[in-house]
Amino acid sequence: MSFDNMTSNWSKLRVRHPQPDQYKDAPYKWGMVIDLDACTGCNACTTACYAENNLPVVGKERFLGGQQMHWIRIERYWGEGTESTQEFPEQGAQFLPMMCQQCEAAPCEIVCPVGATHHTPDGLNSQVYNRCVGSRYCSANCPYKVRYFNWFDYPESAWPSPLEQQLNPDVTVRTKGVMEKCTFCVQRLTEAKSKARTEKRTVRDGEVLTACAQACPSSAIHFGNLADPSSQVAQMWKAQQVELSAYPQKKNEQEETERLGGQVELVPYPQNKSEQNVETEQLGESGEKLRGYRVLEDLRTYPSVVYLERIRSTEA
Amino acid sequence: MTPHTHDDHEHEVATEARFVIKPKDINEEISWAQINEDVLGSLERPRPLFWVIFFASLAAFCWGVYCEIYQYRTGLGVAALENPQVWGLYIATFIFWIGMSHSGTLLSAILLLMHADWRKPIYRFAEAMTTFSLMTAGLFVLVHLGRIWQFYYVVAYPNERWAWPNFSSPLVWDATAIGTYLTTSIIFLYFGMIPDLAICRDKAHGFRRTFYRVMSVGWKGTDWQWANFRVTYLTLACLLIPLAVSVHSIVATDFAVSQQPGWHTTSFPPYFVAGALYSGCAAIVTLFIILRYTFRFEQYMTIPILEKLAKLTFAISMVWTYLNVVEYASVWYGTDPYAKQALIFRATGTYAGWWWAMNILGSVVPFAMTFKAVRTNIPAMMVVSLLLNLGMWTERFMIVTPTFAHGYYPWTWTGNWWPNWVQIGVIVGSFGWFTMLFMLFCKIFPSVSMYEVKEMVYHRIRARKKAATQRAPVAQPAQS
Amino acid sequence: MSKKSYVLALFNDFEEAAHAIAALRESRLKGFRMQDVTLKSPIDHPECAAELGDRPVYIQLFSLIGAVLGSSLGFLAISSAQSNFLRQPRGGFPIVPVPTNMVITYELFILGSVFFTIIACYVVFALHAQKNRLYSVAISVDKIGILVKADPAAVDGLKDIFTRYHALEVSESS
Repeated sequence: MSFDNMTSNWSKLRVRHPQPDQYKDAPYKWGMVIDLDACTGCNACTTACYAENNLPVVGKERFLGGQQMHWIRIERYWGEGTESTQEFPEQGAQFLPMMCQQCEAAPCEIVCPVGATHHTPDGLNSQVYNRCVGSRYCSANCPYKVRYFNWFDYPESAWPSPLEQQLNPDVTVRTKGVMEKCTFCVQRLTEAKSKARTEKRTVRDGEVLTACAQACPSSAIHFGNLADPSSQVAQMWKAQQVELSAYPQKKNEQEETERLGGQVELVPYPQNKSEQNVETEQLGESGEKLRGYRVLEDLRTYPSVVYLERIRSTEA
Repeated sequence: MTPHTHDDHEHEVATEARFVIKPKDINEEISWAQINEDVLGSLERPRPLFWVIFFASLAAFCWGVYCEIYQYRTGLGVAALENPQVWGLYIATFIFWIGMSHSGTLLSAILLLMHADWRKPIYRFAEAMTTFSLMTAGLFVLVHLGRIWQFYYVVAYPNERWAWPNFSSPLVWDATAIGTYLTTSIIFLYFGMIPDLAICRDKAHGFRRTFYRVMSVGWKGTDWQWANFRVTYLTLACLLIPLAVSVHSIVATDFAVSQQPGWHTTSFPPYFVAGALYSGCAAIVTLFIILRYTFRFEQYMTIPILEKLAKLTFAISMVWTYLNVVEYASVWYGTDPYAKQALIFRATGTYAGWWWAMNILGSVVPFAMTFKAVRTNIPAMMVVSLLLNLGMWTERFMIVTPTFAHGYYPWTWTGNWWPNWVQIGVIVGSFGWFTMLFMLFCKIFPSVSMYEVKEMVYHRIRARKKAATQRAPVAQPAQS
Repeated sequence: MSKKSYVLALFNDFEEAAHAIAALRESRLKGFRMQDVTLKSPIDHPECAAELGDRPVYIQLFSLIGAVLGSSLGFLAISSAQSNFLRQPRGGFPIVPVPTNMVITYELFILGSVFFTIIACYVVFALHAQKNRLYSVAISVDKIGILVKADPAAVDGLKDIFTRYHALEVSESS
């Protein structure tokens, strides 16, 4: 049985991912767009993630010791070589919410010795807690370092009675020795998909949101189904000319201008040019630049999160 | 007859007046009965240093066990590991122990194929060192896991969930390779000991006799036994060499396959193998000196052999230095900005002191061995070998830690991570475990191969006689 | 089959033992065959044992069989395990990658060869073990022994040959 299985599916077993149009016929491919221009660094997304996914609060000492457990973290950058001279240190900082990028060619998936991390058909990088033996090779190989290891058994310290009552019953509470990371709130996705299946349809755009997308007060985080061309994230990816399985991205300013049907009107660049992770800056129609990029794309991890570069001046 | 205790710097036989008196690797006039007696005597009455070392290593092992139990019960967080420094000293020392294990293969197998018979008195304990190094490395594989009790997930065993390990992961390749190497090493060590165990059986009494009789599987020294033994031993040696090279190459792919800066180098497999041979050779020198004194092996582990070992270590150190410099040069003159950043961080960052120490200990200190005065001086060689091994351990540390500290993502850079007492305690415990096992081995099994020493002596006498009869009859060799 | 006696002669010198074996071969003594003559020595003596005639060793054939079996079974097992039953897709890599399989096949090839070599050697030891019973502990020190399985009638003739070549001790058993 299994030998036939192997021979009949041989072509599928030998194909490398990602492929162009890999998700053309798939019902779901979850992706995100995060608008750094709208992000104020308020940490509402982080808090929502803690609440939704049973993340333990490790305490100040352990946090400063590097043993944090925040699946989504707000990073602050001030530009290379500049020191903040403002009254409040955060002034002038650019905020970047960073979580697991659900890479299509994830460096973490191939190195787990026991096979605790895989790629799901809907394009998520899955972490199987009960298979993980804690070798931490996945975290060693992750370029973004968005994988968090359970260094201790947290329940007693993080949720003393009666705080355990607020835990989300849809999400496992992880034991010590297990690796965890952002799952794009897979418990919500599963519930939404299951509900949609009973109603014999696919999940509609906006019907399911991750906790961070739901909590963001400035709607900086957009979440949706990239396989559905009419979804908001798919349209934003297309507008920014970012393709899931392409590197380098072929961005065409002229085409963009023609697509938008207008004259090119130049918009002054921000004075502070040394913004983090700038790939290309191109101008399209006024106010709408091709400012979408993926972090550390040259490592060819093909992440599923596009960040929209900040436009407003850092003085604000 | 009391065992010999005199020092034997030069045991000379003047052949002709115009030939320079050269110290011999071994006293060829030694009687075979004496060989048996010396080696068997070492099993019974070692010097008191043996007991000192044994109990000290037992204490170190117990301390390591305590640290590990604390870590097991509380979680890996007590070992000061953090995001992104997730591997710490455990992986560095794991690679160190695997590296040490290549020494035995080098001496037993590679020098066997090269017909270097000076290896004969010393390869037994080197092979034992290989086996116990691998066992110690295996400890670290377990200790560094988050959920040790489920370590067997790495093995492809039939289970109801039909879940296999991830064969693409270098850690699974490690498990296969190290498992194979450990099995083969134990087989090779035991098999090579069979004629010696027969000698022990013949001289033992009581339950020891039974033990050795079982272990020597009916060895009587018959010609068909010897013929088959020789062929088997040679075949195993030929198989062991590519295996040893592949094992450390696979361990190197743990890093080379990853895309992290500072690791993604194709020169890692040969670099690791060279480093392994290097640290193994240095460790052999250390153990040579310890065993020579503790078990009264001055007749067998002679200074000329120590000299040859020192020369071998020096040669390997130069190979390692070359590969090291090639790695630096290819990064420095290359175009990969991440790798260059990683190299600059290693040389000038938090761990710069250790990096420079590694390079000096690994590349400069070996030059001390170019002086004959150092090579033939036992305390000097002890110090040099320990320094070399310290340098190699530091090399492993410098491979693992700075890449975590200074990876691709600036937000994750940590400039001040250092291990704590739990990690260091487990490392000390591993050294205790290794030394304890090794000392036990030397007390139960002959750590000098008696039959090989007899062969060495026999073939040298024959060669000497043959050379003498072929020479002009004018100058007759002084025979005793 | 008539009852056989065993004669063990101990020599100090390998050359004398070699000459004694040559003498045995050239002698016209009846009652024993050259293949019943065994040499027992503390170290390997291929030149001495060569006097006994051609006794081929088949170990390396088994090494080869083990290598082929180990590598092929290992390769089949690993490559099929990756795709049988539960398929575990990972991004960036095929589910059945070739280099992975090569690495593991290589290790198993060596392991298979080692196991078969050792088993072959032990089988050989076991097969030959019953025949020779006489042994002296001096053999493990520095004496060389020649063991002959012969008819009791030939024993005296054998003893003559041995004493002619300065045998230290000749013992007999049946």
